[in-house]
Amino acid sequence: MQGTRWRWMAILALALGVLVASGCGDDDESADGGTTATTQARTFDEGTTMARLQQAGEITIGVKFEVPPFGFKNVQSGDVEGFDIDVAQAIADELGVEANYIEALSDNRIPFLKDGTADLILSTMTINAERDEEIDFSDPYFIARGRILVKEDDDSINGVGDLGGKEVCTALGSTYEDTLKREAPTAKRRLVDSYSECLELIQNGAVDAVSTDDVILTGMIIQDDSLKLVGEPLTTEPYGVGIKDGDSAFQEFVSEVVQKFKDDGRWAASYQKWVGQYTEEDAEPPTMTLKEAIDLST
Amino acid sequence: MSSWLELLTDNFDALASGFWVTLRLVVGAFLVAAVVGTLVAALRIAPSKWLQRLGGVYVETFRNIPLLVLLIIAYSGLRRAGVPIGTWTAGIAALGLYTAAYVAEVLRSGVFAVSRGQVEAALSLGFDQRQTLRRIVLPQAVRTVISPLGSITIAMIKNSAIVGAALAVNDLLKEARIIASRTFETEAAFVCAAIGYLLLTIAATIAVRLLEQRYAIRR
Repeated sequence: MQGTRWRWMAILALALGVLVASGCGDDDESADGGTTATTQARTFDEGTTMARLQQAGEITIGVKFEVPPFGFKNVQSGDVEGFDIDVAQAIADELGVEANYIEALSDNRIPFLKDGTADLILSTMTINAERDEEIDFSDPYFIARGRILVKEDDDSINGVGDLGGKEVCTALGSTYEDTLKREAPTAKRRLVDSYSECLELIQNGAVDAVSTDDVILTGMIIQDDSLKLVGEPLTTEPYGVGIKDGDSAFQEFVSEVVQKFKDDGRWAASYQKWVGQYTEEDAEPPTMTLKEAIDLST
Repeated sequence: MSSWLELLTDNFDALASGFWVTLRLVVGAFLVAAVVGTLVAALRIAPSKWLQRLGGVYVETFRNIPLLVLLIIAYSGLRRAGVPIGTWTAGIAALGLYTAAYVAEVLRSGVFAVSRGQVEAALSLGFDQRQTLRRIVLPQAVRTVISPLGSITIAMIKNSAIVGAALAVNDLLKEARIIASRTFETEAAFVCAAIGYLLLTIAATIAVRLLEQRYAIRR
């Protein structure tokens, strides 16, 4: 009996070992973009965040995992892809380090920056004055507009004015919490962690509308063409890269990379790939400055 | 320490409304769990093999599926199947039915904890089956199940936090998270939520203590 028990223990230990060696941590690895910098990386002064990241050889960037076309997991490859990831990758490439992508929800992305879980946040985050008090932003790398999404056969909602008494879904911690409170005070807000939950709720009829950035809503229409956008744009939402508060050297560096990304044609290519081919609309890289973006919200 | 007090006073209405939602959810689920749990326990100790098996299937189904999965099935699943179920019904039903499985197991074990000899003695003294259960077995079973039922209730109160997240209901935790995302006072907001849950769990603990004293054997 004693011998059998030892044999079982050994098998169990082996099985555990195999599991640890093979399966776990898979997510982190596969989420890596896989593209390493081809150009010779720049050198930075000792003590800067850029130098520290180069020393570590990797940068942790918080992105969305369920928000096509800005940040989402490709089911086939397991990689995270989207417009936000293209910008993030440009920053990692400029540093010459590996990008490690982690999921940052609207609700936890600012805490992630503050507690150092993420070095940067690129998760469809609108620049505004309240957030600017807590963290720093790069110059805007994209400008979205606030819109409303309803079912195609719903004629009762044609704009924000029709949302009174209706159930409207948006993400917890997004700017739309306040936008809806202001523009449609009698609407019943249903706050979820991730926009994929809003898609589920409108599909199963639990909510009447979803309100958030046009590009996120377009992503939902790509997945389900029985949905449509209605009404005029509600708000202007300039997306910025989130950086830990007070790190002005890093902020400057990130804004510089964003500018380069806009100037050398990568922005246009990325826009076409993720947005333009679906909306059939052309767009120019945003020229709005960080200050203008912050002023916009006040 | 003053920061969470300040946050509590500044956002009292939101937190109170979240607390109220959680309280209603917990009370509703408790009633479902008590009624269904008792019925299932009755099946489990019924004299028919088939009824016992039926009770067993219930317990193993609801005890072995994660609560989050049950909630998603009860809400999104049913809605997609064409049942226009609301968040309250889905939340109370899923939490209540899940907890009922545990309640049933505790009640069953309580009845079985009363030794066989007592039943035999009662029957030989002329009590019938019904009287034996009512006068001999159940009073003793009650004593042994109070404490585990209290633990289950406390677990259910804590499990209710999953409902708000899964069904987009503004319960206590959700309200705290809304405040955290608006004020960026993450720690203070969660301290307030923790205090709210403690109020409920401590109330449950006190109720259990009182019941235990009432049914205690005076030695």
